[in-house]
Amino acid sequence: MSENGGALLQVEEVAKSFGGVQALRSGSFELSRGEIIAIVGANGAGKSTLIKIVAGVYRPDSGRMLVRGEPVAPRDHNVGHMRHLGIEVVYQDLAIVPNMNAPYNLFLGRIPKRFGIFVDENAMRRKTREILEDLKVTTVQSLREPISAMSGGQQQSVAIGRAIAWGREIVILDEPTAALGPTETGEVERLMHEIRDRGTAVILISHNLEQVFRLADRILVVHHGLTTPAFPRSGVTSEQLVRAITLGEQVA
Amino acid sequence: MSGPEPGPGMDASGEARSGRSEMLRNNVPYIAIVLVVLLFTIVSGDRFLSVRNWTFIAQQTPVLLLLAYAQLIVVTTGSIDISVGSSLGFSMYMAVLGMVWLGPVGIVCGILAATVIGFVNGSIFSLLKISSFVTTLAMLIIVRALLNIISDGGSIYVTEQAATGTYVDSVAAPWLLALGRFPNILIFALVVTALMWVFYEKTLFGQQLKALGGSERVLSLFGVSVTWFKIQVFVAAGFMVGLASLISLGRSGAGTPRAGEQFELDAIAAVALGGTPLTGGHGSVLRTVVGALTLTVVANGLTIAGVDPSWSRVARGVLLIIAIAISLNRRRIGVVK
Repeated sequence: MSENGGALLQVEEVAKSFGGVQALRSGSFELSRGEIIAIVGANGAGKSTLIKIVAGVYRPDSGRMLVRGEPVAPRDHNVGHMRHLGIEVVYQDLAIVPNMNAPYNLFLGRIPKRFGIFVDENAMRRKTREILEDLKVTTVQSLREPISAMSGGQQQSVAIGRAIAWGREIVILDEPTAALGPTETGEVERLMHEIRDRGTAVILISHNLEQVFRLADRILVVHHGLTTPAFPRSGVTSEQLVRAITLGEQVA
Repeated sequence: MSGPEPGPGMDASGEARSGRSEMLRNNVPYIAIVLVVLLFTIVSGDRFLSVRNWTFIAQQTPVLLLLAYAQLIVVTTGSIDISVGSSLGFSMYMAVLGMVWLGPVGIVCGILAATVIGFVNGSIFSLLKISSFVTTLAMLIIVRALLNIISDGGSIYVTEQAATGTYVDSVAAPWLLALGRFPNILIFALVVTALMWVFYEKTLFGQQLKALGGSERVLSLFGVSVTWFKIQVFVAAGFMVGLASLISLGRSGAGTPRAGEQFELDAIAAVALGGTPLTGGHGSVLRTVVGALTLTVVANGLTIAGVDPSWSRVARGVLLIIAIAISLNRRRIGVVK
């Protein structure tokens, strides 16, 4: 399966502009199974655009993307196809539908049906409990209440649980702990290790450089819409990393 | 402690309080109808409570109820359809015209017409990204004008027996007139209500309506084809208007150029009186029944009490504002436009 030196994901010189503004000039990187790569860069550097291309939200204007060595055809470059390939995202704002319950949010876009039209609510609730138990998340109480009735931490658990449950290959986390306290942050980091250990690759966007050093195997810097070659975390000092982020200097 | 805008981490007492007001909001429709019935019983007594009067109410409510279901489908997504009145009139006329052309099966022209209007509404709204209010306002005008053009200002009557002589503007359909009478019209409405409940509460489509009202952006982030779904929403509402046109035709016995005028307001009022927020996200079929019934009972009770029809409309307008004022969760509203 994994030819090309085991690369699970290859992103090759993807670019994207919005109405004449180049959000991403050229983004390239590779990702292997069970690897955590951190994407860092200043605000507006193009990190979000890059991961939204990987997630299928944006179709790149140029460049290409390969998953398990297979190029993604431009007409297939959409969220549905990427999710089908096992790529999931935890968005910074969690991207939950506030008036719907936890099972609905977990199954968003893949609601199980009976007879083609009816929602299989029992299956959803059962699977939701399993997923949350697998993640050792035990704080979620009611599965019938709108998710907006839950605490921020519980909502986060559901959002992460959703990505982990369906993201067999790649889970993308966009600033997953920016709004969390230390305990919840520890919990999220534990989950990241857990999914990495099962062979899933993780893309982490974080402004917290300590966290990046703590978790990432490799680091990718985006500066003014350009990626620099990703480098291993070991052997990089935080000063070097800060210079790379702010000045776009190449590291090693 | 708890300010005007509590965040997601609301304290326990705040949650309990919002739980209580939530419960009050959910029960407003039931409280309202009980109060209204009590009021008219006191004012008009036996004349209001008579079997004859309630048979009349049971005949009067179904058309409004089905239009309210059409509105409920759209309102749950956070949009609005103010073309349902024009669409009803147009579909009634097309149904009766269809029967003139094709015989009894021609009645499907009514359902077809309403569904096509729904499709046009949905396509303009979803593809051209014009707000549902503006889209359906334009359609309210256009469809009414088309009805005037097609009918040339004349009516086509549904009759018990085939008309003799040169009187062509009628079609014999005793079965349709029978459908418009009690108890058939009520049975029809109850069957549609049962199907509507299943559709709204149990199907993926119904669930998606509420989710779309909750966050359209999140649905598209997760690969749900929102553009196509929004068209389908208006098609489903159009189909419901088509069903309403059948019983409305059976009841009134004619397709006329002015049928259904201002019915959109009653339909919206019924949904709102049923406690469904016009901002979308959730709603209830059963409470919409109560809302439609309340509206009919108020109109009926005021008529019996001898109130002038214009004042009756004033009273219903006031009732609508009161109902919405109570059913809105103002704590969650930041900006009102």
